[in-house]
Amino acid sequence: MKKHGYGIGSMWYGIGSTAATNPSGAFVDFLDDGTAIVLSGCAEIGQGSTTVLAQIAAETLGVDLEDVAVITADTGVTPDAGPSSASRQTYISGNAVRLAAEKAREQVVAKAAELLDLDPVDIRLRHGQVWYEAEPTGRTIKDIIAQCRGEGILTLGHGSFNPVTTNLDPATGQGTPYATYAFATQIAEVDVDTETGIVEVKKIVAAHDVGTAVNPQNVEGQIEGGCSMGIGYALLEEVAVKDGKIQNPGLSSYLIPTALDMPEIFPVIVEATEPSGPYGAKGVGEPALVPTAAAIANAVADALGIRLYDLPLTPERVVAEIKALDSLKPE
Amino acid sequence: MDLFQLEMKVNGEAVSVPVNPGLRLLDVLRDVLHLSGTKEGCGEGECGACSVIIDGELVDSCLVLAPQAHNREIITIEGISADGELDTLQSAFLEAGAVQCGYCTPGMILAAKVLLSKNPKPGRQDIARGIAGNLCRCTGYAKIIKAVELAAAGLQQKEGEAGV
Amino acid sequence: MSETSIVGKTVLRVDGPAKVRGESRYGADIDIPGALFLKVLRSEVPHGLVKRIDAAEALKIPGVVRVFTHADVPGENSYGIIVKDQPALTDKVRFRGDALALVAAETDVAAKRALEVIKVEIEELPPLYDVWAAMDEKAPEIHAKGNILTVSRVKKGDVDAALETAAVVVSRRYTTQRVEHCYIETEAGVAYMDDDTLVIKAGTQNPHYDRRDVSRVLGLPINRVRIVQSATGGGFGGKLDISVQCFLGLAALKLGRPVRIVYDRRESIIATGKRHPFFVEYTSAATKEGKLLAVKAKIVGDTGAYASYGPATLNRAAVHATGPYEVLNVDIKALCVYTNNPFSGAMRGFGTPQMAFVAESQMDLLAQALQLSPLEIRRRNVLRPGSLTATGQRLDKSVGIGATLEAAWEKACQVMPGLGGEAR
Repeated sequence: MKKHGYGIGSMWYGIGSTAATNPSGAFVDFLDDGTAIVLSGCAEIGQGSTTVLAQIAAETLGVDLEDVAVITADTGVTPDAGPSSASRQTYISGNAVRLAAEKAREQVVAKAAELLDLDPVDIRLRHGQVWYEAEPTGRTIKDIIAQCRGEGILTLGHGSFNPVTTNLDPATGQGTPYATYAFATQIAEVDVDTETGIVEVKKIVAAHDVGTAVNPQNVEGQIEGGCSMGIGYALLEEVAVKDGKIQNPGLSSYLIPTALDMPEIFPVIVEATEPSGPYGAKGVGEPALVPTAAAIANAVADALGIRLYDLPLTPERVVAEIKALDSLKPE
Repeated sequence: MDLFQLEMKVNGEAVSVPVNPGLRLLDVLRDVLHLSGTKEGCGEGECGACSVIIDGELVDSCLVLAPQAHNREIITIEGISADGELDTLQSAFLEAGAVQCGYCTPGMILAAKVLLSKNPKPGRQDIARGIAGNLCRCTGYAKIIKAVELAAAGLQQKEGEAGV
Repeated sequence: MSETSIVGKTVLRVDGPAKVRGESRYGADIDIPGALFLKVLRSEVPHGLVKRIDAAEALKIPGVVRVFTHADVPGENSYGIIVKDQPALTDKVRFRGDALALVAAETDVAAKRALEVIKVEIEELPPLYDVWAAMDEKAPEIHAKGNILTVSRVKKGDVDAALETAAVVVSRRYTTQRVEHCYIETEAGVAYMDDDTLVIKAGTQNPHYDRRDVSRVLGLPINRVRIVQSATGGGFGGKLDISVQCFLGLAALKLGRPVRIVYDRRESIIATGKRHPFFVEYTSAATKEGKLLAVKAKIVGDTGAYASYGPATLNRAAVHATGPYEVLNVDIKALCVYTNNPFSGAMRGFGTPQMAFVAESQMDLLAQALQLSPLEIRRRNVLRPGSLTATGQRLDKSVGIGATLEAAWEKACQVMPGLGGEAR
């Protein structure tokens, strides 16, 4: 018989290393033709950080995305951005890049204000053009940089950002471990086959507060990928170790979800903007996975009326729990 | 050990190279022909990162010995963008956000290519089946499936235009 | 927030075109003519002292250039992001997979054959596979400072008093399993000398950390080591640790020749970190209105042979143990424990997926006991602006948990017709 259930999993996740300094640095070089190079130690591992940093730099400099090149993760060239971990790169390296870009931008703005005889606070840079409030001035960023070069001024910026945290009291853990937190709630719908014990995840709704979503499609991609990893964690995956030896060191014995194991996922982006984040952004990389197994476990409990306390919820475990309960029931 | 004179067509070009007959096609492509777009993920035919197209079929090149590729026609990821222009599937993968770390991407695109060659109008479940032999740890497959849908629609449209 | 034109918009990935063309160069794709192949001899024994490594036979194999052991490590033979407890090449084995020797050869085949004929003499020590046995005072020590690596505590209020006044108290034990990151790209890279600078190109999540520990292990000034991240095929925390970097650096430095290494899947799974298995005892208590009164938990994490990110994982688990809820009385203790199992480190979430499973199960159990819906009990407890966290941090801005709860519920009511809307 197939039983149907729903479960909620909620989570919070502190952005950045726990109660530890974890700064990031960046350099921005605004070049003669109005294009820019960003240097950041941030390692792109597929999460999309290079694109996010390019967006933040382009937004801040007032140029198009195509006019920004990001050079990353080369210790001979780029400043330390810390690890691509703790869902920290958008918030921390994003801020470092924003600060570096602001410094480079300030020089262009100051020169433009001087040339146009305007107050720098009224100058805007957009799509490579210099604007006076809401009106184009007819001058381009390239013109202004040429003027800077003529006067021997390089339009460079550097930035570094370290989130505001405190140590935790060793006895009580009291303190401020993170500057900001991401939040999420996922709801899973499952079918459980009471004969085979097989749990099939039918749908997952995943609502994530990421602060400003710098690149919404990329945020969805993180959420969908996290749900997939969470399904594996809840139902399939276990490194079997016997006497310290891994019994399944290959992909024929260690199984992860395939396209056929995936339910429909409904990502919902919630934007509780973070004032200290770059354009209000926080992070999403890990939160995407964190509540998935919890939601599935609660859905299985809802379906069966039996709760399992050990992950993963393998068919063997599910069947064993059903049998154990049945054996307690009077005839 | 005697070398084997391997003759095959790779991405439309005739290739003739002497190879150790114990080499896998994957090694020939990567180490001899320097086509490193074909990746190794598991070496046992489970992950599909090494997928190539042989005579129109999707094959794990880690499971093929060099002599088995003799006189066959091989297509790798390097061979699907004509004159440097992206293939419809490659563009669709970009547009749909189907690429994250990118390591499964070449194999995934080739799996989708074979699928669409056999079934130009696949449903979601057909697509999931078509890429089920290719593992991705980043995307949860949702945007990959979306990309294949986009490409299928794009190809249909192209075909329609060509028919007019 | 002012209007933005690029931030907040979906744009195509800047690294996308190279990836769909198959042109991105991952660690195994970097071709340096003449590069030597490296292979690592790993221990089959879980715990023991290395008495002798005899590579004489291996060196007779044509193409084998050099076999390195712990005696060849020029600097401090220990690395680790938090605790420097892991040797590059070891003289004490702590798990089945510890690196004993490194072979450099002209061909992959010669390097593999060399591994088969290197003789290693190990004086075995009793192994510890169980965290509880490892915590026993009389247990043999895996590392010099004992088997309990760290203890994290989060305490506030008066949990015992709260438990007495609570309308409902739920106590359960939970376990979670060891998991593999399973990025599709295994660890790989190359290294070479560029004048007097050692250059290492490899997949990584933290090039600047790699540089610090490579320079430490090789005894080089930090500015003589250059780490260039190659395209990296996923990480999920598993590529935060040193894997191939010290091997590449040692061989390139000592031999003055370019070198390359690629882990096959088996080595990738055996030799690198895992998600921590957790053992959790958890008690939560609520008022009859469903307001959380107290959370008490003991969390034990099996970090295996090396610390890796273990202390950070257990610390984060402790800090997040309550879930995203306001709780006045909290008593959490989290222990990070060495065993002779494969080592555990960072994996997406750092202990919080484990604790979410536990804390969210508890929330549903409380709801059940109080005849509240799972949605309702969460509504009554989520952190809000002005809430204090378990560590006493006041949250003022960007506290979106309640919003995600409502948004998820609203969407679920649309797409899950069986959910039954507010009636549940």
